[in-house]
Amino acid sequence: MLIGIGFVVGAFGSISFPLGFGVNFFWTGIVVQQVGPIWFGAWGVIAGAIFPFFSNAIAGTPFYVSLAYIPANAVQAFLPAWIFRKFKCDPRLKKPSDYGFLLVGMIISSAFGALWSTMVVLRGFGLLTAESTPLFVWGWFGGNVVAGIVFNFILLKALSPVVIRTSGFVKRWWS
Amino acid sequence: MANAIEITNYSWAYAHGNGKALKAVNLSVEQGECVGVIGPNGAGKTTLAYSIDGLVPGQYHGIKEGTVQIQGREVEDYPKGMLQREVGLVFSDPEAQFTAMTVEDELVFGLENLGLDIPEIRERLDWVAELTGLGPLLQKPPYEISGGQKQRVALAAVLAMRPRVLVLDEPTSMLDPLSRKRVFEVLGQLRKVQNTTLILIEHGLEHVVPLADRMVLLAEGEIALDAPTPSFFEKLDLLHHHGLHVPGAVEVVSRLKNSGRYFGELPRGVEDARLVIQEIIDASSTKQGAV
Amino acid sequence: MNKTLLGYVPEHSPIYSVHPFVKLFFLLVVSLFPMFISAPEWNVGLMLGIMLLMIYSRVSLRTLKMYIPVAISMGIIILLSYTLLGGVQPQYQQITRVLGVSIYWERLRDALVVYFRVVPMILSMVFFLSTSRERDLIVAMRTIRIPFVVTYVFAMALRAAGMVLEDFHIVRQAEQARGFDATGKSIPYKIRKYVMYMIPLFALSLRRTEEFTNALVARGYAFAGEGARVKRADFVLTHYHFSVMDGLYTTVIVLLFAAILVARYGFQRLTVEDSYFLNWLYSIIVSAA
Repeated sequence: MLIGIGFVVGAFGSISFPLGFGVNFFWTGIVVQQVGPIWFGAWGVIAGAIFPFFSNAIAGTPFYVSLAYIPANAVQAFLPAWIFRKFKCDPRLKKPSDYGFLLVGMIISSAFGALWSTMVVLRGFGLLTAESTPLFVWGWFGGNVVAGIVFNFILLKALSPVVIRTSGFVKRWWS
Repeated sequence: MANAIEITNYSWAYAHGNGKALKAVNLSVEQGECVGVIGPNGAGKTTLAYSIDGLVPGQYHGIKEGTVQIQGREVEDYPKGMLQREVGLVFSDPEAQFTAMTVEDELVFGLENLGLDIPEIRERLDWVAELTGLGPLLQKPPYEISGGQKQRVALAAVLAMRPRVLVLDEPTSMLDPLSRKRVFEVLGQLRKVQNTTLILIEHGLEHVVPLADRMVLLAEGEIALDAPTPSFFEKLDLLHHHGLHVPGAVEVVSRLKNSGRYFGELPRGVEDARLVIQEIIDASSTKQGAV
Repeated sequence: MNKTLLGYVPEHSPIYSVHPFVKLFFLLVVSLFPMFISAPEWNVGLMLGIMLLMIYSRVSLRTLKMYIPVAISMGIIILLSYTLLGGVQPQYQQITRVLGVSIYWERLRDALVVYFRVVPMILSMVFFLSTSRERDLIVAMRTIRIPFVVTYVFAMALRAAGMVLEDFHIVRQAEQARGFDATGKSIPYKIRKYVMYMIPLFALSLRRTEEFTNALVARGYAFAGEGARVKRADFVLTHYHFSVMDGLYTTVIVLLFAAILVARYGFQRLTVEDSYFLNWLYSIIVSAA
């Protein structure tokens, strides 16, 4: 199943157009990264954590930089799905609270992703100066949250009724 | 000894589907028998194929009633990955079946899953490549070859696993007439040499009829007709009612039989039909001569 | 032509005689070289070296064209981060002021160092992707005994990207055939229309997922349980032989890496201070300033 999910999650990342070393201020891959685990549980988390590695690589991100993004990708994939399960939200977004929890999950996970990616990865590789880092953190965070807000709700609303009928839908974490 | 396939009062409804895809199906198939399955679109043919291979209920949510036994064992009782060693399934869309990056890897993938060693894999690879004429394509990606070649790869990948039961869901829809003929010759050979049980789901009946011991008509999820091939085509009205095209030669003789001009078995091909018609003409002239 | 992860390599290329493990080893180790080199001219030398390898392998250098926008935008980000957004640094030598912001020599120098570090790292990735097929990746990973499921996931992920991109083109063509053209339209309009791509694409991917899972199950592949415990024969490895030349290439890569480490930490070479290019640039810019 993991390989199958990779079809969805991994490939979507490669449709986005990074600016360089994995930076993208409107990264649509985040949509798949956050929606995938809501539908596919731990398989989606694993896929969401490692598949941007490939899309980044093809888009021209150095090998070790792509590798260093993995923790950020893992948290971005895990957190919204964890909140969704913890508070028993419906992927079809039937109640207002489903929207609320999704938004909270998106914001927290995107914040972590932005902090890790800029402060640990880009700073770590010397690609940014300390002075300019806050700007990049906000840019990164904003880009991911905006992309998430634009697409996550639409995708969940439009496709969850279809996905939950398929054998790929994972209600808990592994099955 | 248990039947190769024993389906008893089997019904299946997909979760969120519209009603039952299969309804109270009963089907017994002996080892080495060849059964042709026909029916209009949406009749449940693919669901039947998936049920025999364990994809239903294994990969789909739904409600199952009755039993589906392969070699005397219920499909759900097989450990994961073990039923498919008994049953090989060739999908109608060959591309949907591809799991590897070259034709050779594709043919070898299933053999590695079986746990075979390298000499055995090599022997089977050579055998199946020769059998299906895929030798020159082995190093090519399966996505970059023609539709007919893809279908041959899909078939070869399953044949190489040498399952005791082979389910083919429209395996020749993309093949030209000559390649199609060749595939059915291969299936006939397999049956003869390895006593493989064959379930053939096909639209083009002219090749199935000579091979099948029995034919099953599936309509709206139910078995509408299950009869030995020669008598199956006597029910022309029922077949036409379900929009099925009966091979011309068979239909002509069937009509002659229905009108009382012929009493023997229905032919399985054009040559058989020619002989039967010749016999009728001869009998008719003898009768006129006698008068 | 033979398709690789990033394009095509002619039917006959010396790269085919190289064991996939060597190519993976090249990626893993050569990508590290620039991290220990600060002098840009050495990293430029490394870039040229990789490009020569690409020419020798008969990889079309046109492959690099698609990375030009990334290289430019990346350069701009680094430059902005190190200059206009670099803050006030009284301890550094100011060379000029732009839009009221001081530009310092040390910052400019560091931006160049970082930029010329990243580009060869990207090139080594491009070299690997343009000379390797998914099959090579499997072979390389299986050679070093990485579990089959991991190698298979990696290879399938790469294939998946290609397949969904194909689907993406189909959906786009279908939209265009119906007269849809987003050229010159506003960003909110484009975003709205992007959803038009996302939903059918996602639905197509879900279908492919289902088909692919069925195909794996139907061929006796099991992720866990009795079926997963079989010892896989790794037939693909029978086509590859780790030759003396492969051993030699691997040794050369290791020796080069060791040489870089020794030069850097043993003899304090390859540093900023040791850079002819930076010293020359300093003499021009700072003297002019």
